[in-house]
Amino acid sequence: MLAGAVTDADVSDLMTAARHGDKASWEALVHRYSGLVWSVARGYRLGQADAADVFQTTWLRLAEHIGRISNPGQVGAWLATTARREALRIARGAARTVPAGNAAMAALGHVDRYSPELAALENEQARLDAERAAAVWRAFGGLPARCRELLRVLIASPPPSYAEVAAALGMPVGSIGPTRARCLRRLRERLAGKVSGTAAGPLQGE
Amino acid sequence: MHSERDETRLEEELRQAAVRFDPVPGGLLRAAAEAFTWRTIDAELAELVFDSLVDHDEASLVRGPPERRLLSFQAGELTIDLEVTSTESARSLVGQIVPPRRADIEIRGADSAVMAGADELGRFRAGPLPAGPMSLRCSTVPGEPGPAIVTDWVSI
Repeated sequence: MLAGAVTDADVSDLMTAARHGDKASWEALVHRYSGLVWSVARGYRLGQADAADVFQTTWLRLAEHIGRISNPGQVGAWLATTARREALRIARGAARTVPAGNAAMAALGHVDRYSPELAALENEQARLDAERAAAVWRAFGGLPARCRELLRVLIASPPPSYAEVAAALGMPVGSIGPTRARCLRRLRERLAGKVSGTAAGPLQGE
Repeated sequence: MHSERDETRLEEELRQAAVRFDPVPGGLLRAAAEAFTWRTIDAELAELVFDSLVDHDEASLVRGPPERRLLSFQAGELTIDLEVTSTESARSLVGQIVPPRRADIEIRGADSAVMAGADELGRFRAGPLPAGPMSLRCSTVPGEPGPAIVTDWVSI
């Protein structure tokens, strides 16, 4: 759906080669889908340690299943589904569950830890970009859970297909577009409220 | 009203913010690349068929407590039942192979493995283990029938 997207056929070839032991093909799959798998775990508001477990378990599971997947061209959706199920298990598990709401705080913590480095940046444009990015990330952290879950997966790098997003969230493909539009509108509103009167971001006045 | 182009632009801004503030940790990327070397090609895969955290137990109709989690893996006629007991940071396992058989069991973690032995009744135990991804690899022992088995990975 986007420039540079890898086709199902390409992915199918990578899967076939990896199944036969080609490590470079496996690494290409890791490169292509790691952003998606990570974003699924983080979208379910798991902390770093739990998200890391989901991520690792998902890739280990693919390694064992690589010769058994019926649609190798759609391994992205398989990974997204596997990560979602694993994230739900961990969310229900003992001991290390992160209470709802902590993810937004953790995200803000990230911004704070980043600040000293930002302040040290000499390049003015870079500083403005970083401030803007921090404002966007803070506004995202304040969105309702449903919006954060959807958007976190949609903004994986590289961008996932709607089929992969649907698999990641267990929702019908048809409801992604409308929900995305609604959530981006809410994000824009939060952003406008938070940054009004300050240096105009690229979205101001549009 | 904002156009589709504005939406796409805001989404892209958010994507760049995620790259900046919540990237995939580098260590995890290396671990995912290494996961390939854990592949088992000479064993049958026992898939996860029951997990008390997410599946309703037909007998009790309630979910078990999360600190005592029951897992079942199945490969053909063979089942491996596992009870995982959790504390804050450690896990311990009590397992049973059905039908019973002796086996050498390797309990694989994300970056380490420990061995356990199943007795003639198919029972084994292990722990304390670190929390994280886990998979069992059951080797056959001389004089016992049945193939080598590897279970699905699951986070414990």
